[in-house]
Amino acid sequence: MPDNANQNELESRLRTLWLRAQSGDEAAYREALLQIASRLRGYLRRRMQSLPDDVEDLVQETLLALHLQRATYEPSLPIGAWVVAIARHKLVDLWRRRGRRDDLHQPLDDVDEALLVADQEEGGTRRDLEKLMLALPEAQRQAIWLTKVDGLSVAEAAAQTGASPSAIKVQVHRGMKRLARMVQD
Amino acid sequence: MKTERLIDVLARGAGPARPAPVARRLGPAACAGVFGSAALALGWIGPVPAAMVGAAGLWIKLIYGGALALAAAWLAGRLARPAASYRAAAAGVLLVVGGMALAGAASLLGLPAAERLPALFGSSWSSCPWFVVGLSLPALAAALWALGGLAPTRPRLAGFAAGLFAGALGAIGYALACRETSPAFVAVWYSAGIALTALLGAALGPRVLRW
Repeated sequence: MPDNANQNELESRLRTLWLRAQSGDEAAYREALLQIASRLRGYLRRRMQSLPDDVEDLVQETLLALHLQRATYEPSLPIGAWVVAIARHKLVDLWRRRGRRDDLHQPLDDVDEALLVADQEEGGTRRDLEKLMLALPEAQRQAIWLTKVDGLSVAEAAAQTGASPSAIKVQVHRGMKRLARMVQD
Repeated sequence: MKTERLIDVLARGAGPARPAPVARRLGPAACAGVFGSAALALGWIGPVPAAMVGAAGLWIKLIYGGALALAAAWLAGRLARPAASYRAAAAGVLLVVGGMALAGAASLLGLPAAERLPALFGSSWSSCPWFVVGLSLPALAAALWALGGLAPTRPRLAGFAAGLFAGALGAIGYALACRETSPAFVAVWYSAGIALTALLGAALGPRVLRW
């Protein structure tokens, strides 16, 4: 069936990228996240017809969660199922935060057709993650800015700030975790 | 911030995914849980008489608690990974509990009929489950902390697994202070306490396991 063929093709393409990303290939990771973002957008748009302005925020929130929880992926899992499970978790969370009791009872579609729709056109966000990043505690903000925005290596960032390389890594991780909490209004 | 820029930020310097995320959180939780349970048992209730230390009664409790803790940790680990199947791990838990139940039944059958009920109820059947629950509370807090840092997408089940794990650690601690010797007693009343802790975990799961 065409749908199953498309799903399998998507799964195997994404899986190759994702497994390389898991072992440290940053270019593969970036490409994987771009493809996942486009699929997430399609998936979420269909399920958030009553909250269209929140779609892109939820795409970003889900990407952040995927990043923070990368370690929970294991090769025995289909990458699509793993992504959808996290997206659903974030979606249910959003409905709960918005007090939309009725949406909690909407039947959530089968995983089979979950990531078939690609949507590359970014919507606008209500929230600006960059502003939130700037509002992080100084050590976390600086570590993230130097290594992830300015693109310095951990060693270079350590030299510039006077902190140890492991301290830089810890601050980046803490900052990203805190960012994820901050977006949960 | 545009999503494409966010992706640049996430990917830059990301490196490889950290290995063994479940062990890195459940390991310390197990240590804290066992230590907390043992300390409470010895300090609050008091240790068993020295004569019991080599006896089968004590070791059956420790082995049951240990095996169940391992099976529950396996289950919790599956529930901590989005979309991961947990059927085999659940079967593992049932196997351990079932095995203990069989051992308990066998021990009763080996007794003269008149001694069976006294062995099953011992002298502390009504307080044992509550002690197990009480001793498992530090472990429950630690297990919920551990899972909260992972990605449980089925929070009620994950909470249940955390409670099973904590209850088993509570049972291990209680074994250091409990004077009962019948395997049937352990199979029923220790399991009751562990089940209560699991239900407590399940109730707390949806509230506490947010990420």
